[in-house]
Amino acid sequence: MTDELKVSVERRGTGAVLYTKGYINNVGGEEIANRSYELMDQGVRTLLLNLRETKIVNSIGISILIEIMEKMIEQGGKIAFCCLTPVIQKTFQIMGLAQYAPIYSDEESACTALEFETARKK
Amino acid sequence: MNETIERQVDLTLPMIPDIEITAAKAAAELAREIGLSPDQIDEMAHAVVEACINAREHSCCVDQRIYLRFVGSSSERRPKLEVWITDHGRGFDLQEARLRRTQPADAPKKRGWGLQIMEAHMDEVDIRSSPEGTTVHMVKYGESTQS
Repeated sequence: MTDELKVSVERRGTGAVLYTKGYINNVGGEEIANRSYELMDQGVRTLLLNLRETKIVNSIGISILIEIMEKMIEQGGKIAFCCLTPVIQKTFQIMGLAQYAPIYSDEESACTALEFETARKK
Repeated sequence: MNETIERQVDLTLPMIPDIEITAAKAAAELAREIGLSPDQIDEMAHAVVEACINAREHSCCVDQRIYLRFVGSSSERRPKLEVWITDHGRGFDLQEARLRRTQPADAPKKRGWGLQIMEAHMDEVDIRSSPEGTTVHMVKYGESTQS
């Protein structure tokens, strides 16, 4: 019944795009955190989270995203988001996340702003 | 003639991980039937998720159940979905919970956003809590069907 979160990663030069699919709850948030921290350990300092296949989130999952964002900022890096549903974007704004991480409507504009290599067509 | 069609769904769900998704899907099904838009359904689903998580995480109830009632009505005026989410737990001090809210000024607060998310996504939210339990009553209206 649940939409267990799946995470995939694409490296883009010194940055990375993390794709999520499914429900971002506490378990999903931890999965994103683990993958993000692995990337940070590998020297990634620019991370784009593409939530195009995530339709529902909860406040616990978002709180974990805030922790990732704080850790990345501590390390001098940055995090951005793209492809959010209107409701997820509104929820990010309520929780203050949107103040600290830019949100882009699509991956192409995010990659341009973050100076990533051009996104590969999927 | 003002014909009103009303549908009611009652559910009792165990407090197990991710049960909030089952609740949200049931509410979304009814919301679709009465004509709420996809964005309105999505907002309502996120509010139901937060209410169920609060019940599961904080109620400390002995029966480990969440009681849900969804009532959808569709009239010539506009669709309306009402949601009641009840637990038989220890309750909480609503005033204190509201005071704990902070604005995301210096650093984003990590936890305790459920109530604000519910209020932002629904048109009406009313919470009644006592040592015998808590009921969250929320309403979502659809677009007017009258021209």
